[in-house]
Amino acid sequence: MPEMEKVDIPEERQKEILALEAKLNSNHFEVLGITAGATSEQVRDAFHALSRKFHPDRYHGRQLGSFARRIDSIFKRLVEANNILTDPDKRQAYLDANPFVRAAIRAATGTNPTLQPVAPKTAEEEARDAERRARFSRHPYLAKASKISEQLSKAKAHIAKQEYSHAFTLLNLATQIDPQNVEVKTLLNDVRKKAELLRSETDYKRGLDALNQGNEELALAAFKAAVNASPSNHVAAFKAATLLERNSGDIKEISAFAQKAVEASPNTVEYRVLLGRMLEQAGMKALAKKHFEEALRLGPDHPDVKKYVKKRWPF
Amino acid sequence: MAEREPVIGIDLGTTNSVVAFMQDGTPTVIRNRGSSNLTPSVVAMSKTGKMLVGQIAKRQAITNANDTVYAAKRLIGRKFSAAQTQDAVKVLPYTVLAGDHDDIKLQLADKQYSVPEISAMVLRELKLDAEAFFGKPVRKAVITVPAYFNDGQRQATKDAGRIAGLEVLRIINEPTAAALAYGFGKSVNGKIAVFDLGGGTFDVSVLDVSSGVFDVIATGGDTYLGGEDFDNRVIEWLVFDFAKENGVDLRKDRMALQRLKDAAEKAKIELSSSKETQINLPFISSPAGGGAALHLHKTLSREKLEELCGDLVARTITICEQVLTDARVKATDLKEMILVGGMTRMPKVVDAVKTFFRRDPCKGVHPDEVVALGAAVQADALTSQDSEVVLLDVTPQSLGVAVAGGYVRKLIPRNTTVPTSVTEVFNTSKDDQTTVKIMVLQGEAEVAHQNELLGEFILTGLRKARRGEVEIDVTFEINSEGIVSVSARDRETGLQQSIQVTASGGLTEEELKRIMEEQADLLLEARTGEELQTKRSELKALMREVEDLIPQLDKATQGSEFGQDAIAKAKATLENARKAFEGPLLSKVTESMDTLTRTISLFKGVLDRIK
Repeated sequence: MPEMEKVDIPEERQKEILALEAKLNSNHFEVLGITAGATSEQVRDAFHALSRKFHPDRYHGRQLGSFARRIDSIFKRLVEANNILTDPDKRQAYLDANPFVRAAIRAATGTNPTLQPVAPKTAEEEARDAERRARFSRHPYLAKASKISEQLSKAKAHIAKQEYSHAFTLLNLATQIDPQNVEVKTLLNDVRKKAELLRSETDYKRGLDALNQGNEELALAAFKAAVNASPSNHVAAFKAATLLERNSGDIKEISAFAQKAVEASPNTVEYRVLLGRMLEQAGMKALAKKHFEEALRLGPDHPDVKKYVKKRWPF
Repeated sequence: MAEREPVIGIDLGTTNSVVAFMQDGTPTVIRNRGSSNLTPSVVAMSKTGKMLVGQIAKRQAITNANDTVYAAKRLIGRKFSAAQTQDAVKVLPYTVLAGDHDDIKLQLADKQYSVPEISAMVLRELKLDAEAFFGKPVRKAVITVPAYFNDGQRQATKDAGRIAGLEVLRIINEPTAAALAYGFGKSVNGKIAVFDLGGGTFDVSVLDVSSGVFDVIATGGDTYLGGEDFDNRVIEWLVFDFAKENGVDLRKDRMALQRLKDAAEKAKIELSSSKETQINLPFISSPAGGGAALHLHKTLSREKLEELCGDLVARTITICEQVLTDARVKATDLKEMILVGGMTRMPKVVDAVKTFFRRDPCKGVHPDEVVALGAAVQADALTSQDSEVVLLDVTPQSLGVAVAGGYVRKLIPRNTTVPTSVTEVFNTSKDDQTTVKIMVLQGEAEVAHQNELLGEFILTGLRKARRGEVEIDVTFEINSEGIVSVSARDRETGLQQSIQVTASGGLTEEELKRIMEEQADLLLEARTGEELQTKRSELKALMREVEDLIPQLDKATQGSEFGQDAIAKAKATLENARKAFEGPLLSKVTESMDTLTRTISLFKGVLDRIK
């Protein structure tokens, strides 16, 4: 907490003013301290409540120092937020221009779909609901939908337990029943990626274990498998490349792994330096130079840069 | 602080003015020294060269029509060339002249006055009434203006306050003040509408009230629509018929015009309670070249009055429609409907309002006093630390700048909550343009020249470039009183210029200074005597106390730097006090008393701690 100025405002309020000032650059909902997507009435209520604290008139004739400016900019910002969010046209235009706010609204309303809690159902109601569901599911038109939703919910349960291959099978079945179902498609994609990542990670861990036990051959195989499972696993790619180099492997293969590592993580200095060295050895000087320069820019004091790059060119 | 300084709220009306204050948490009207709640907004110079203000000025208006100014509010902050000024001049019996910069001067006897000076005389009268009531000087006030007043009219009203020796804490809108007075101390929640038809102006506002927050959603009005216009319709009718019968135009005779005005107003008021009234003006005219004097006898019925003024009432309703649309509110959404202003006593007005808003107006609000009471509530809210009232007022008219092609680019739309500021980027419109003229406009018209020009300024020294390449940030700012300032900045060079917009019809800063100096003499005249004497002796006592404390403090602080510093300051204060004591100005005396009191409490505090 910075030292407080000597002004005629209670310390508590000073802190509130500083806190609100710090978030004036947030979106209109956040400035007013309300959930994204709040109604016009909620906006106005919040605006009124904040006005009670932050309207410049509340501090009329007092010693304010730098707080005069702070309060002024806070209130003007509140007015702006209120004006836009209570006018349907302006609100629409604001959301159109700021997709991330729209996303925030989706997130807020998605995680909190119902504002009023639903009264718990009685046993009798539950039984009637179950009976109705069963009857609907027997209907030929609805059978398809109910089958898919059944598989979907099962798949989701598997996903939660990280059993991706099970989920994958179920979802594949579901796409055969209804190839147009968007939810199934996106979930399938999702699961595929997650499964790959999981596999890649397991392979990578396997490689590390093998390395610890001194079995470099097995380790290399595991790292390669990890890269195959997910090309974005740059740690595995780098491990594979260094292992290969240590065992004087094929320069082209080493460069390929180094290239993958750089692509997946362009800002890592070690990857750049390794790729540069390999390319240089392969005779591609111009390309190598490009990567060395990038490495130098990213981390001029990095040990690898000092060791390999600075030696070459007296910068 | 021993006791809080009194602060007052003033409704500076077209025909009548009222002053109020907050008495133990209840807004209360202060009666004038003539024991009346209303003080006519009339100023006159008597034949013997005495300045008369209020009831006494109104009473002699007929015999001194030439040198009696009423309805100055209709002229304040306006330009002489404005159409509304020219209309007014035709029916006003006093002389209206053009000033040096298209402002308005009023002739009283052999002297010319600006409009704010005249309004200041009314304000000073109210200030004196309040001082008589409190038994001590009053310096701070909140003054109301019609919501639809533009920047120039607000500035001019503020100037009037300064000339009257008041620190104007705030200019607030009349309908808003009415809502404040209505909602203060009650647990009102919801939307309310205020319909304010006064002597010269019409306003309507919609507010959203929630536990102490008074949020104006929309406001609209006409600064040239009020009781005076209803009177003028009656005058025209009388004059027209009289001309038809006798071939004499009574408007040419100032005294006759003043008598007609009086009679018309009286008749209008009577018709609010009765169906028919007689207008009798004997010896209204003596024909040129001798002959018998002419008398005017007419009967005016309520129906006839309503026929004469029907379009005026219709205009108020049109404005109401616009405001409800702006507020996105239906008449049925409103919780309450408040009527303000003397004209809302007219049955035809009440009927029209009832039909439009589909409800009976709120009872228990005094249409003449409620605005001043609201001003007192706001004055109290601004000066007390624990008030629950917050007023969120809006700017009544849109603000913009003139752009190439003669159009307006609006920067702040009407009904925006103030204070507010907006910045927008403009470009040069010609190749190698090195200066831009920024014309600040207020109003709703699309075409620049149909709006009110608040002021203009020139930004020079722009770099030479192709059209559209130089970018200029124009920032508009409206403060809590609806007063506008504008600044322009060249993005490239950082070159900046700003103005506090002063309407060209208003007073310049030098003029205001000159008037205030002149008024300082006037103030002195009003003040010298008993009050100054008592204050002087009080000042003397305080001076003695400080003189006694200095050696004590010197001893206690034992020559420390802080002690020496404080003593040096106290000695300077004493020297100032001595000058004030010998000087003629009451304000200086009270000022010195304040600083001495502060010195004393500081010294005593230090001595206490050391002991």
